[in-house]
Amino acid sequence: MDNKELTSKLVDRCLRLGADEAEVFLQTGRNLSVRVRNADIETIQEASTSGVGFRVIVDGKMGFSHSNDLAERALDDTISRAIAFARLTTPDESNVLPSDKGHTDVDGLFDPEIARVSMDRKIDIALEVERLAMEDPKITHSSGSSFGEWEGEVFITNSKGISNSYKASMCSVGVGVVAEKGDQRRTGGEWSSRRFFADLEPLDEIAASAARKAWELLDPRMVPTQRASVIFDASVAPSLFGGIIAAINGERVLQGASFLENSIDEQFASSLLTITDDGTIPKGTGSSPFDGEGVPTAKRVLVENGVLRSFIYNTQVAARAGVESTGNASRGGYTRLPGIGTHNLYLATGQYSQEDIIAATQRGLLLKGVTGYGINPVTGNFSGGATGFWIENGRIAYPVEGLAIAGSAAQILNGIEMMGNDIDRNRSFASPSFRIAEMQIGGA
Amino acid sequence: MKKYQARAIPRRKFMEMSFKGGLLIAATPSLMSHLVSCSSPAPSGPGLDLEKPVLDRVIAKALAQGGEFADVYLENRVSRQIIMEESLFRSGLYGIAQGAGVRVVSGDRTGFAYTDEITEENLLRAAEVASYVARNTELTVPFNIAGAERESFVTVRQPLGEIADTRRIEIMERANQAALDYDPRIKMAKIDYYDQVRGRVIANSEGLYLRDELPLMFFIVETLGDDGTGRHMSRMRISQHSGFEMFEKYTPEYVAQSAARESIAMLGAEDAPAGIMDVVMENGWGGVLIHEAVGHPLEADNIAKGIGAFTGKLGQKVATEHFTMVDDGTIPNMRGTINFDDEGTPAQRNVLIEKGVLKGYMTDILSSGQLDMKRTGNGRRETFRHIPIPRMTNTFIEKGKHRPDDILASTKTGLYVQSLSGGSVNPVTGVFNFTCREAYLIENGKKTTPVRGATLIGSCMGVISSIDAVGDDLDFGPGICGKAGQSAEVTVGQPTVRIRGINVGGSRA
Repeated sequence: MDNKELTSKLVDRCLRLGADEAEVFLQTGRNLSVRVRNADIETIQEASTSGVGFRVIVDGKMGFSHSNDLAERALDDTISRAIAFARLTTPDESNVLPSDKGHTDVDGLFDPEIARVSMDRKIDIALEVERLAMEDPKITHSSGSSFGEWEGEVFITNSKGISNSYKASMCSVGVGVVAEKGDQRRTGGEWSSRRFFADLEPLDEIAASAARKAWELLDPRMVPTQRASVIFDASVAPSLFGGIIAAINGERVLQGASFLENSIDEQFASSLLTITDDGTIPKGTGSSPFDGEGVPTAKRVLVENGVLRSFIYNTQVAARAGVESTGNASRGGYTRLPGIGTHNLYLATGQYSQEDIIAATQRGLLLKGVTGYGINPVTGNFSGGATGFWIENGRIAYPVEGLAIAGSAAQILNGIEMMGNDIDRNRSFASPSFRIAEMQIGGA
Repeated sequence: MKKYQARAIPRRKFMEMSFKGGLLIAATPSLMSHLVSCSSPAPSGPGLDLEKPVLDRVIAKALAQGGEFADVYLENRVSRQIIMEESLFRSGLYGIAQGAGVRVVSGDRTGFAYTDEITEENLLRAAEVASYVARNTELTVPFNIAGAERESFVTVRQPLGEIADTRRIEIMERANQAALDYDPRIKMAKIDYYDQVRGRVIANSEGLYLRDELPLMFFIVETLGDDGTGRHMSRMRISQHSGFEMFEKYTPEYVAQSAARESIAMLGAEDAPAGIMDVVMENGWGGVLIHEAVGHPLEADNIAKGIGAFTGKLGQKVATEHFTMVDDGTIPNMRGTINFDDEGTPAQRNVLIEKGVLKGYMTDILSSGQLDMKRTGNGRRETFRHIPIPRMTNTFIEKGKHRPDDILASTKTGLYVQSLSGGSVNPVTGVFNFTCREAYLIENGKKTTPVRGATLIGSCMGVISSIDAVGDDLDFGPGICGKAGQSAEVTVGQPTVRIRGINVGGSRA
């Protein structure tokens, strides 16, 4: 019996054991990871795995159970547990499963080549990227390099007619290095993650980027506490937008725990800000033909020229809000209930290179690293630790670290005044560099 | 020095020697009497009951191509989670996860493979995959495994398997009601109930065989305060390795009211100031700062790589004499308590920094061998799908002599941090960052206005050499610690402490 047949048999089994509606989410996968350090193998891990999750609705009540034991007896027991658990919960009209709306054709999700590449070649890739990074004379230690791959198949079948599956793969190569100078010690890392083996970025570029990140902030200085412009480097922009994505999560909005709950069709950010979520990009690392509960994926503009256009929903939360699912059910594997998340998220680019933005900045911070939680989705406050470069008279003056930056979402988002063009669309959260007119910078 | 115990001599000779030397304790695991009864469903295979000779064969296979050490880890985890939001029981989750991992260590190399299905055939295949890293190295002959004894620090009066689900529901309803009754400005409460029973079997090439079962309870109440102009989300978490009796010690009302108190207290908060200032941190969960800023850099994996922030500083003075820091996996029933780690090493009290002097690191089997140091019982793994790595257990600043009131009163101005959200550290550079959830200005030695959006930024060396007062009021808080893609249940603790001059990020100039 193939897995598709198995899932549809299991849906029938759920109904026979007492469920009114049922969804079976089955996942199989294989993963390999090779870690190298100091020109030798550090770890090799490999495994195949599979498991199944059952979401059942009984009298409007919902229960969930999962098991990685796929023998018939164990599965029967697991289903019974979900049904027994459902009886404990509160009936809710929004406990509904999606009906079949087909799926979106997305090319380039699975690369059969990855599995055909020899183990020795994969080890060599990890060895090579480390060797290249260590060639930089400013680099003193290696934190290790790695090659990783994963391939898997997802099957979703439910009692409302959905029966769908897709296969996907991913591979990645990365390296981390340390630069020391006197008492100073700094780390830098870079990686490349792709659906297809042949699309991995050249190893010398990955290595050079990791090395540069390790040494470029050596000999940092401190600046006085002040208000000044902040240029978000493309690599740190997601730290700012994570909180916005949480704030447009339809469930948070319903709970009154979002600072954007009353902002639909309102201008809440600079007109330079346009954010799109697209689950259909060929070879996209966040792409899939359907979301975590079988609803077809789509391309959706969330923020258009600073105006909030859409919240994001899965089926259950959409039912509570009285709207349709936006195909944004996320699923952290077969052990989890559907949550809400984005696919491939990207900002619309502007006309400037990062060099242009720096040149146009009298005084401010080029932000290269930020720690903390980004924008708080409840209050809209932003604060974090900052490292980067200080800019004076349109030029990079010196590295800075140990700064604190803070502001409210309204100040920051309305303050976006220059948008860059330096976007890497291969990231599942892609942004160019951009400049905020003014933020509070805490220093000496 | 030999890093791993291995058999290089005829079996019979060894048995004589080992009994004399007391190396092996041939006893039935006494732990079995402490076990909670868990009505976990019978797995379709042998599960954790896999016979010892099978494990011997798997270990032999793992070392068949070479390598110095091998272990097999079998695990069965049964979990329950119930979530209540907006006064509704939104969902109930029940999970069974079972499987086994096989590891081979050869020099600095580790090979690892796992399987979801515990059968001899699958384990032998995993052993073969894991042995790849040891090809063409010197052969090691493993000991046959035999049961060993370990002390238990976990007691259970009301086993989870005997608790009807309706009692779990009742606890949640009580918490929800208490939160909403606290104040009309509490607009929402979320109650998250979780429990699990984790059974584990550890067998290794040094002849060790251990089996035990640990229950875990985790109860979280989040509340949202909203007065029409401001809002604040707060959280209170309670967790123990124990039976259901946890709720006698910490009633659901206590947990809910603690969360609600903070939600209301922070409603009038102003923007936090920015700049370098003195910080007084209240006892308990604030210990997470030390966990991140000092604990992670003291885990031996980065030390063994020669890149950790504390590399080469053993025996040196790294903090003020007020500062003593301990990791202790043996405190009865705490969330970070482990009996023995996931490599079988007994849990113990490890003094990491004593009166400012660095005394030791936290090791697992691999890093203790690399550093030629003792095994400290910190080799932990999230599940059978993960390799063990050095992790903390219950980590805390030892109590000092100062009275908490005096610490506050003698601080003229600064920031009083009552609760942190959490944070992170770079273990190589030691640079950390923390977000405050509940904080107040200190003016003339008194807690005054609540402030929001404050972030603490610093380096581990800087912070521990700036602690100039340590209170006598040690308390603990439960947490989830993430490292290298693995999460671990931990406890953090501290008395009230004062840090002189730390960078606070806030939005007010």
